[in-house]
Amino acid sequence: MSRIAGSTRRSGFARRTMAVALAAAMIIAACSSDAKNTKTSTAETTSASAAGSTAGSTAGSTGGSTAAPSSGAALVIARGMDINSLDPSRAYCDTCQIFMTAVYETLIGLDPKDNTTLEPRLATKWESNTAQTEFTFTLDPKAKFADGTPVTSADVKFSWERLQGLQGSSSYLVSTIKTIDTPDPGTVKVTLSAANSAFLAQVNASYLGIVNAKLATTNGATADPTTDKAEPWFLANSAGSGPFALESYASGSELRLKRNDAYWGAKPAFPEVIIKETPQAVTQRQQLEQGGVDIAMQISSDVAKGMSGPDITVKQVKSFNFVYLALSPGAKGGEKLTPKVREAIRLALDYKGLVEVTVGGAGQSQPSPIPNGFLGTEGLSPPAQNVDKAKQLLSAAGVTSLTLDATYPSLNVYGVDFSTAMQKVQTDLKAVGITLELNPVEIAVWADKIGKDGIPVTMLYFAPDHTDPSQYAQYFGLLPKSQWQTWTKADAVPAETDLLDQAFAAQDLKARGALYTKLANAMIADQIIIPIVNPDLFLASRSDIKGIHYSTCCNLDLSRLTRG
Amino acid sequence: MKRYLAIRVAVMPLLLLGIASIVFIVSRLTPANPLVSIVGERNLTNPTIVAAAKARWGLDQSIPVQYAKYMKNLLHGDLGTSFTTRRPVLSDLWDRLPATLELTTVALCIGVLFGVGLGVLAARHRNTLIDHVARFFALLGSSLPAFWAGLLVLYIFYSRLGWLPGPGRLDPRATEPGRITGFFTVDTLLHGDLKSFKAALLHLILPASVLGWGVVGIVSRLVRASLLDEFSMEYIKVARAMGLRERTIVNTHALRNALLPTITIVAFTFAFLLTGAVLTEKIFSWPGVGNYAVEASRKLDFPAIIGVTILGGVAFLVTNLIADVIYAIADPRIRLS
Repeated sequence: MSRIAGSTRRSGFARRTMAVALAAAMIIAACSSDAKNTKTSTAETTSASAAGSTAGSTAGSTGGSTAAPSSGAALVIARGMDINSLDPSRAYCDTCQIFMTAVYETLIGLDPKDNTTLEPRLATKWESNTAQTEFTFTLDPKAKFADGTPVTSADVKFSWERLQGLQGSSSYLVSTIKTIDTPDPGTVKVTLSAANSAFLAQVNASYLGIVNAKLATTNGATADPTTDKAEPWFLANSAGSGPFALESYASGSELRLKRNDAYWGAKPAFPEVIIKETPQAVTQRQQLEQGGVDIAMQISSDVAKGMSGPDITVKQVKSFNFVYLALSPGAKGGEKLTPKVREAIRLALDYKGLVEVTVGGAGQSQPSPIPNGFLGTEGLSPPAQNVDKAKQLLSAAGVTSLTLDATYPSLNVYGVDFSTAMQKVQTDLKAVGITLELNPVEIAVWADKIGKDGIPVTMLYFAPDHTDPSQYAQYFGLLPKSQWQTWTKADAVPAETDLLDQAFAAQDLKARGALYTKLANAMIADQIIIPIVNPDLFLASRSDIKGIHYSTCCNLDLSRLTRG
Repeated sequence: MKRYLAIRVAVMPLLLLGIASIVFIVSRLTPANPLVSIVGERNLTNPTIVAAAKARWGLDQSIPVQYAKYMKNLLHGDLGTSFTTRRPVLSDLWDRLPATLELTTVALCIGVLFGVGLGVLAARHRNTLIDHVARFFALLGSSLPAFWAGLLVLYIFYSRLGWLPGPGRLDPRATEPGRITGFFTVDTLLHGDLKSFKAALLHLILPASVLGWGVVGIVSRLVRASLLDEFSMEYIKVARAMGLRERTIVNTHALRNALLPTITIVAFTFAFLLTGAVLTEKIFSWPGVGNYAVEASRKLDFPAIIGVTILGGVAFLVTNLIADVIYAIADPRIRLS
């Protein structure tokens, strides 16, 4: 009895002590907010008065806060880096888009203010034949690489043929190139194996950046995967003509770019850009608020809440990224996913609720697998919940109760936690008598399962590589051997192939738009891919950083950023 | 003792080969597809890209052939190339090990110093308020999840109070000191850069404290229990009867004996921290082996997984051996054979 009493006393003491300790910590932290505001304004004053002082790489803040950097200081970006390679023919990731745009210029650029207008970059002009099978580019004679070598048609040929030959992840962008002719150093003539009106948009993708052929070849680069030895060299060096060059890369730590002082165009404002590995959104916010970094790129909607003050600017912009549900009638256990059942699932979902639950309302519903804002998506009806009709469809299909395996990758992408989203989907479907057995797994396990047996209900995400809607039709449409036709084992729909072929052959923008609208509607009718949320992007930065724009092709164009 | 040590050292490579074999087989039999981290999920059904990736990384060969090739390379000191970093695994580990060693060493120092201190304090003041507070603090360190404690201290001491720097080994704008040892605190001193030394030291405080707090819990409880055992021994009663000062009794006589079991625990804890400081490294964006191990496991990066496992094996075998030697030195009655 006494032992029990003693134990209770001790545990009560422990609880009290813990409560007091935590309360004290919180009070100290809370009381410090005023002090912090004062510190921030002090830092601003310091910044103004120290504008003329030497900046650059000076080591070490002595406390938590970092003095505001002067105008010539390095730009620091906090983000979770997902770099798979820095070899331009093998790199394929969001951070790679930023890197490629900064270091390896493409022939055609994209105005990030509207994400539509193509603008000259290495090429001053371009033209195509009416059949959309031949494209001719005229290179800017002023263009030169960081080592001073002029950019020639031979470099373009080498870069794209190497991309084709190495079969890296982005090589699908050049898969239709049949030949590349170089009639003179300033002209590139590309012949495609089939009509492709999206080719100019693909040329604009950051992965089609041009490499200094001579320099790369000297360091082991070839277009043959069995003889190419250049990837390690590209991890420490670069061979581009862009406004920046690679300074250093430490995997899991940081990527440093230095200004290309020999840049042939307008020189960027920052002498150095540092991308720091900072996977957590909360930590990105803390570092931004303390002045340790200038831009935080992966702030989720919940973390963005409450970020305010004169020193911080948070831009909420529409993105073209989305998270979707995929239904596989051909998967093991998915046999009952007939068109009626799939439509019932689409109607059972509470789309507004999904946007609210996943990103706190900071996003949109998306009618089709082609994201809002892309050519052909104007006027598409937003998805709407209709539980009664869903029940009727299930009843007509003879389905009274249905249990489906819902294995999905355990991810948090664009601020969307897949588990949260799937739980909401599970709740919505429960209301119409469909039970989802949720099974979160690592993406490697998910990839194995979907490649072997398929998965009846799953979830994934998509971000564009370029500005043309064809990439969505090729990936999500039920074209023969498209990614999702293969995974879902659904019957191919020849009409979608015809529509895409027509769109590829069409020259007129309006006509292409109409064809993509038809494709979007056809993909909605497939009921295979159901977008659940198109999350907004939060670009948080120190208020003195200007020129931040989200770009479809390139994520963030570092050359447009300035301080002050 | 020399013969014993020679045998232990000689057996190590065989044990490591065994560990590598087990991990190789288990990782290959896992129902998962490593290609997703090589080509991306978007290209998994593209036969040309998948075939090229399989050929490049040797995944198109049978598991026995892959195993034979891996073991042959391993015997030549080649741990393979990481799927994700595209660099030799040995280089990756070489680059990251100093960061982890530096963090672990400081964490262990904090853990042992505070652990022994609290343990002694708790034992000397058994069942008093001091004992309760010390034990509560130790319990908190052992039971608080590192990610929670990490986020909490970052929030309080970095984000709100601004007393200590945030994640990373140095200020984000700072350049790393030229590598001599890889320990930033040492290298900055060797380069004569006191400002960077101070920054490196300050950056260590929060992550090392979070990591070391867990060690405090283990060590202080062990020291307290051992000391209480020693206090009941005859020689302590004799010492007290002789009128020796309590401080002398504890520090000179009881503590020396009580610390013996602590040596083994500290050695194992050090080895565990080397590969187990995963959450702390993640929260504090610390570019060490723990972070590397997590990414390798998540992406099924076979060469990196085996590399980290071999490193962990080496750490446990070496620290275990060192613990045995220290044990023998600390207690002359123990003879290694």
